[in-house]
Amino acid sequence: MKPVILFIKLIMLGMIFLSFPACNGILGGIYDEPLAEEKNEFGFIETDETNNSGTVYIDATSYTKWTYIDFHTLTVDSLEISEEMQEPENWDIAIHRYDAKTNGAFVLETGFTGLSTIKASGEIPEGGYVSDEWTTNKIVVDMSGMMDGKLKYAESYYNRELSKWLFVDTSTMPPGYNPSNKVYVIRLKDNTVAAVRLRNFMNASGVKGYMTIDYIYPFEV
Amino acid sequence: MQKILVAALFLSGCCSLINPVSAQSIDTGTVLDSAAYDTLLDEIVVTGTRSPKMLKNSPVITKVFTESEIRKVDVTHIGELLQSELPGIEFTYSMNQQVSLNMQGFGGNSVLFLVDGERIAGETLENIDYSRLNLDNVQRIEIIKGAASSLYGSNAVGGVVNIISKTSAEPLHVNFNSRLATNNEQRHGGSISFNTGRLNSATNVQYASAGELKMKNEGVYSKVYGNRTVNVKERLQYNLDDNFKLTGRGGYFFRERDSQVSSKDRYRSFNGGAKGEYAFHEKSNLELAYSFDQYDKSSFLVEDRLDVRNYSNVQHNLKGLYNYSFNSKNILTVGGDYMRDYLMSYQFKDNASYLQHVADVFAQYDWTATEKLNIISGLRYDYFSDADVSHLSPKIGLMFKQGRSTFRGSYAGGFRAPTLKEMYMSFDMASVFMIYGNQDLKAESSHNFSLSGEYTRQYYNFSLTGYHNIVDNRITTVWNTDLKGMQYMNIAKINITGIDANASVRLPGGIGARLSYAFTHERIEKGQPLLSQTRPHAATARIEYGKTWKKYGFNIALNGRLLSKLTTHEYTSLTSYEEMEEVTYPGYTIWKLSLMQTFRQGINLIVGIDNLFNYVPDYYYSNSPYTTGTTFSAGVSIDINRF
Repeated sequence: MKPVILFIKLIMLGMIFLSFPACNGILGGIYDEPLAEEKNEFGFIETDETNNSGTVYIDATSYTKWTYIDFHTLTVDSLEISEEMQEPENWDIAIHRYDAKTNGAFVLETGFTGLSTIKASGEIPEGGYVSDEWTTNKIVVDMSGMMDGKLKYAESYYNRELSKWLFVDTSTMPPGYNPSNKVYVIRLKDNTVAAVRLRNFMNASGVKGYMTIDYIYPFEV
Repeated sequence: MQKILVAALFLSGCCSLINPVSAQSIDTGTVLDSAAYDTLLDEIVVTGTRSPKMLKNSPVITKVFTESEIRKVDVTHIGELLQSELPGIEFTYSMNQQVSLNMQGFGGNSVLFLVDGERIAGETLENIDYSRLNLDNVQRIEIIKGAASSLYGSNAVGGVVNIISKTSAEPLHVNFNSRLATNNEQRHGGSISFNTGRLNSATNVQYASAGELKMKNEGVYSKVYGNRTVNVKERLQYNLDDNFKLTGRGGYFFRERDSQVSSKDRYRSFNGGAKGEYAFHEKSNLELAYSFDQYDKSSFLVEDRLDVRNYSNVQHNLKGLYNYSFNSKNILTVGGDYMRDYLMSYQFKDNASYLQHVADVFAQYDWTATEKLNIISGLRYDYFSDADVSHLSPKIGLMFKQGRSTFRGSYAGGFRAPTLKEMYMSFDMASVFMIYGNQDLKAESSHNFSLSGEYTRQYYNFSLTGYHNIVDNRITTVWNTDLKGMQYMNIAKINITGIDANASVRLPGGIGARLSYAFTHERIEKGQPLLSQTRPHAATARIEYGKTWKKYGFNIALNGRLLSKLTTHEYTSLTSYEEMEEVTYPGYTIWKLSLMQTFRQGINLIVGIDNLFNYVPDYYYSNSPYTTGTTFSAGVSIDINRF
């Protein structure tokens, strides 16, 4: 009878294991919870004055907003896109979804994939720095007509080089998201330099449009 | 004897039976051996009637893939297996490179997949996760086409695929297998099973992976994502005595897909169950079972190293089934099920969850009126608490044998209740539009009429089946101008008519050939949101040669799959159902050459050349084969205990 008892015990154990812990499922503990602090805190969430570095976290999920970042004052401001919209007095770069523009700056995509390595290199890379261009078909403000191929765009400046930080492949559905993971050097109009790297474009729940940007400002050698 | 064997092939209507190599020894998986037909005469199937019946006596046409057939086809994904033999089955990609089934006009949610008779939780874009259907340690796969809701309830609208696990007859069986193929495809697995007479156990572990595959030309997808899958299953059976059998089982499944650089899609399942089967006497038996299946989806965020769950479907099932045989010819089957269906999903507002209770009762009478005539009839009542949907599904079928011919005719009702997803979805589709659920949905229903005839003479077998389906209230997403988004809606009637034809030959000396053809015609009213996506003509072909000796056997086979082009109409706008344009998806053929060799009945070596004629689509549509040309594979399977 031993095998019978053993078998019945095993079945009982299995039943208890499977059905009693939770009617709504088991082993939920193997998953992670989204990072709670990412839900509410936006702006310059980390700053290291000693190394002139830090992290900016912004909510760029809206198609109808520009989020302006000012490295000089460590401030962030969001504005609704409209014909009457007045840009802030002082800002350095601005983000709309994954699109980027600058306040009269020039941008270079470097071969560096970490801020520490570019800092360790001891020099500001040379190359073909790219200024903003005026566009009429880059800044999508209304996606509702996408299914009929009728997107609405806002006319705007756009920095093609800095926007390379995330390539969104819309040839497939849903789109493919390919971050470059590279460091971008920005020569601001006051001749100071910032180095930025897009660390993440999602929040911890995987919602896209939440941009985590690591930076060094001022970037000096 | 020859006549009996041929009759068995004929009556079954089974592609594997009329395929000579499929008649190989089930135990060894070796090549054709005429003695193996004796085994096949006793082949028992259960899916068509939910009571064990010999294939030759099944009033419901059942196609069977035996264990040796599965091993010989040498594939990892069940889709490849089904497509290789059954014309009219097409596994393609839908949005986000999710696998989608079309079985002669019926989608993934209209074909019910079962493992040992148990439902499978979870879905993505209306299809279950087919990667869960590990083909290791499978005794056979039974497939019935047409509605079967009178026995299986919701989802059995277009057919049922039932995967039956293997129960080892050997005291000890230890198998290791490994397969490598072009494009960094790998599969490694192992099984250990033992049978002490009363206690038997089967443990199986399988790992499969494929690297990212870049397409050669432009298309809907420029690459196929890399992925890896782990499948573990254990089944323990104990026969308390000749009348009482207990079964316990458990399983774990994990799949990871490299869909984005910054995140990976993960899919998991935890499942288990217990079943007791008691035979009161020769005339009646009772089966009581509990099963649990949880299917989770999560996103692994590479940067933060977080694995965040966003979907969980948990199903608890209780099942009772009673068979009573009045005089060994007439069988009454009655049963009932209860299911608790819980769903949490990222597609619900604020990742909410919903719960539904499902209950049903059914009865079936299988009456062998005369030696030539069998009549089967059944009725099932299903109730879904949240949708407040109840449905009656009837069935009546006749089987008539005359000389070398068998004729079958049937009417069967099918239905599919609206799912929790279809009722409560509130999903922002990539910030493009919203998709909304609809709590007023009615159940999809279908009426299936089928007629078939089979004829066998000596080495030749022919079968022809014609069917007609009237599908009403099919559920699909429809653009809703007021909501400015998509919403699940019932649509008008669809008619699906088709013909399946099969011819096969088995000549003495080990040569065999088979040709199967399927014609499908979907008729959908103009202005309906859904348009036909089913190829009208499809065929599969096979020619092979095999011999076996005491210590060595071989089988060489050429398999072909031929699909016609599809010319259909598509709406020029997704928000209006007025203007259409004609589109044509090209037809294609794919051929596979494989050689299986068996040494000392314990070592199987199989090498294959797939896409033999190097077909590469000019443009990769969703329904194109995502192949970059000819591929090669080599695999070995060793039964350690045979040495």
